[in-house]
Amino acid sequence: MYDHSMIKGGYGVHKLRLKFPGDESLLFRDCDFQYQKGEKILFLGPSGCGKSTLLQVLAGLIPHAIDVPMKAQQVVVPESTAVVFQDPDTQFCMTHVDEEIAFVLENLQIPREEMPDQIKKYVSVVGLDLEDVHTSIHTLSGGMKQRLAIASAMALQPEVLFLDEPTAFLDTDGTKQVWETIRQLPDDQTLLIVEHKIEEMMDVVDRIVLFRPDGTILADGKKEEVLANYQEQLREYGIWYPGIWEERLIYRSNDSVTSQADSPLLALRDFQVLHSGDVKLQVSHADLYQGEWIAVIGKNGAGKSTLLQGIRQLLKTKGKLLYQGSPIARADLQKIGFVFQNPELQFVASTVGDEVAYTIRQALKDPTEEEIHQMVQERLEMFSLWEHRHKHPYQLSVGQKRRLSVCATIHENHQILLLDEPTFGLDAQNTFSLLNWLEELRQSGTTIVMVTHSEEIARYYADRIWWIGKGHLQKVSSNGVSGKELEDGGNCERDVASSSKP
Amino acid sequence: MEGIAKETWLHRVNPSVKLLLLLGVLIALLFIHNLNVMLLLNIVIIICFCFGTGISRKYALLFFLPFFLLFWSSVLTMALYGKGSTLWWEWGIFRVSEESFFRGVHLGFRALTFGLIGLIFVCTTHPVRLFYSLMQQLHFPPKFAYSFMASIRLLPIIWDEFHTIRMAHQVRGFSPGKGWKGFKRKLSAYAVPLLAQSIRRAYRIAVAMEAKRFKGNQKRTYYYQLSIGKWDLLFLLFLLGITGVVWVGSEWIQLLPNQDVRLI
Repeated sequence: MYDHSMIKGGYGVHKLRLKFPGDESLLFRDCDFQYQKGEKILFLGPSGCGKSTLLQVLAGLIPHAIDVPMKAQQVVVPESTAVVFQDPDTQFCMTHVDEEIAFVLENLQIPREEMPDQIKKYVSVVGLDLEDVHTSIHTLSGGMKQRLAIASAMALQPEVLFLDEPTAFLDTDGTKQVWETIRQLPDDQTLLIVEHKIEEMMDVVDRIVLFRPDGTILADGKKEEVLANYQEQLREYGIWYPGIWEERLIYRSNDSVTSQADSPLLALRDFQVLHSGDVKLQVSHADLYQGEWIAVIGKNGAGKSTLLQGIRQLLKTKGKLLYQGSPIARADLQKIGFVFQNPELQFVASTVGDEVAYTIRQALKDPTEEEIHQMVQERLEMFSLWEHRHKHPYQLSVGQKRRLSVCATIHENHQILLLDEPTFGLDAQNTFSLLNWLEELRQSGTTIVMVTHSEEIARYYADRIWWIGKGHLQKVSSNGVSGKELEDGGNCERDVASSSKP
Repeated sequence: MEGIAKETWLHRVNPSVKLLLLLGVLIALLFIHNLNVMLLLNIVIIICFCFGTGISRKYALLFFLPFFLLFWSSVLTMALYGKGSTLWWEWGIFRVSEESFFRGVHLGFRALTFGLIGLIFVCTTHPVRLFYSLMQQLHFPPKFAYSFMASIRLLPIIWDEFHTIRMAHQVRGFSPGKGWKGFKRKLSAYAVPLLAQSIRRAYRIAVAMEAKRFKGNQKRTYYYQLSIGKWDLLFLLFLLGITGVVWVGSEWIQLLPNQDVRLI
C-alpha cells in the first residue's frame, strides 16, 4: 500500500465499516483500533455491541473464514494468529486430545516424528495433566476442554492470541483454570481478550477498551483508569465486576413464605433415579417446603440434572416420592414446571406469543381467545418480551430466550418450578433480571429448585442448598448455617434437612 | 468401535486395502449363483465374523440380529411370491415352488453375506484410521475427511438433544395430534431444533478449523502414518484362501443342490 498508512508498527484496523446482512444499520462506522506487540488487552462492553466481531476482524477471521461484508481503509492482521472460542464443544474437530493438537501440527506441516514430543510440550504448557495424551475429549470437564483449546492455539505459535469469552460456558472452577493457564504463558505473549466476567482475570490484562452499546469505543486506556472512571457503565453494560453481588443484591423480605409447621410439599424417601437400568442418583431423605428456594450444587456429572428429571418423573425412579403426603400421581406432575438448560430445545411454537399461549391452553379448561390474549400480554409484559411477541423464539437474544423459557413454562397451577442452570452463560444484567423474576415467583408461593454452578446464587438467593456428589445427595445446608454431612443416610439430620431460612 | 471389539489382526490391515478388497468380494458375490457355494461361503464368513473381529458375544448377537431378520424376509418374500413350475404348496396368493424356494434361500444367503462382510469391516476399522488411510493411500480430499471426522463428535450430542426435546415435550404436554398433520407437526417439532443446533455447531467448528489454519487443500503431514505392509498381503492371501476352500469344499460337501439356481 502506498497511501500514508495510519497504522504504524503494530496491528489494527483503520476506518472499519461493517454490517451484518439483514441488519438495518452499520455495526461499525469508521472504527479505529490499534495495538502493539506484547500488549494484553481486554474488550469490555454490553452483549451485542460488536466486540467479538471486532476481535474476529482483527484475527483475520472476517472476511475470510466468516463471510461478513466489511470495508476498511487499512487492516493489519498479525502473520500468525490463534483464537480460543467460547463454546468448549464446538472448537474441536477430532475426538482425542493428542489428535486435536496433531491436527494443528499437521496444518503447519510439522514432520510426523516431531509430533509426539510437541504434543506433550503443549499439553504441559497449559497444565493439562493427563496420564495418557490419547484421552477422549468427551471425558474432559469444561475447564479442561478450554485448556486444550489454549494448547492447540499455542501450537500455532501465534504472534497474537485472541480469546473470545473463553469462560462464558464455564463454572467458577473452570474459569479459574483458564486464567491460571493464561498466566503460565510466556510474558511477551500478545493477548486480546473479550470477556464478561472480569473478577478472576484483571491481573492478566493491562489495557481495557470499553465499548458503547452501538459499537463505538467509549474508553481506551490503562486498566486502572478505565475501571476507576467508568464504574457506572460497567454496571449498566452487564459486566461481572468484582463485588457486583453485594451491590446488586435485592434485599429479600425475611417474612418467610414457608412455615415449618407445614408438612412438606414434596418428600423424597430412599429415592433413586435410574438411567438405562443403572442407579444414577440416590437421595435417602429430603423435604421440600412451599415457597422455598433450593439451590442444587455439585460438580459436572454428579447427577444434579438427573435429580431434577427424576423429581419430574422424566426418568425411571425407585423409592418414595410423596406429594403433600401421598405418592405422586399423574395429576400432581402438572403442578411441577421444568425449565431446561437450553431454551431452544423446549420451544414448541413458531412465535413468542404462541409459545406462551400454548402453555395457557394446556393449563386452563376451555379458555376464550380473549382470556388467552390478555394473559399472554400480562406474562410477556412481566418478562419484558411483549414487543417481541411476533418474532420466532429463535430470533431472540440469548438472555431473552432464557426469559421466554421461564415465562412460557410457568402457569398458575405450578407449585414447584425446577430449573436446570437457567443463568448459564448470561451476562450480569440478564442474570439479575431473571433472578428477580424468580424471587417474585417465590414470594407468591412457588417453590423453586434450581441447579446452578454459581456459589453466589446459592449464597444470596437460596434458602437451602442441596450438595450433590458422586450420585448422592451428600449434604443439605441452610443458608448461613453450615451443613452437616448426611453420613448415615441422612435420617438423623432431619433438623437440618427441614429447617427453614435463618 | 472402541471398547466393543478387541484388536485382532484384521484391525491392522490397512483400511483402504480392506475397503477395496471387500468391495471386490461384494461384487464377486453377485456372480455366485451356485446355492451350495453360497451356503459354504456364508458359513466361512460367519466363522470369520465370530472369531476374527474380536467382538464380544453380546455385541456380535446384537449386530447380527437385523441381518438375521433381513435373511428371513428375503427368503420368505422370494419363496412365497416367486414364480416356478414345480409346485410344492399353494394357499391363496402364496405359491411355493421348488424354484422359488431355492431362489429365496439363495437370495437370503446373499443378503446375509453382504451384511456380514459390511459388519466385519465396520467392527475392525477405526473411523479415524479409515479417513487417514483414505487421505494417504487413495488421495481422498482432506476437506471431506476432516469434515467427516468432526461430525463423528456431533452424533452423541444430537442424540442427547433428541432426548431432551422428548422430555421437554412431555413436560409441556406437547401433543402433535394424529394423522398426517400430526406427523408433520411432530417431525418439525424435532427436526427444527435439532437442525438449528447442528447447523450452528457445524458452522462454529468450521470457523474454529479455519482459525487453526486448516485450508482443505494445503499440503499436510499426518499424525497417523498408514502404509501398506505384510498384514495387507496376509489379508489378500486370506481372501484367496477362503475362495479356494469354498471352491474345493463345494465339491466335497453338498448340503444344498450344487447347481446354478437359475437353472433349477
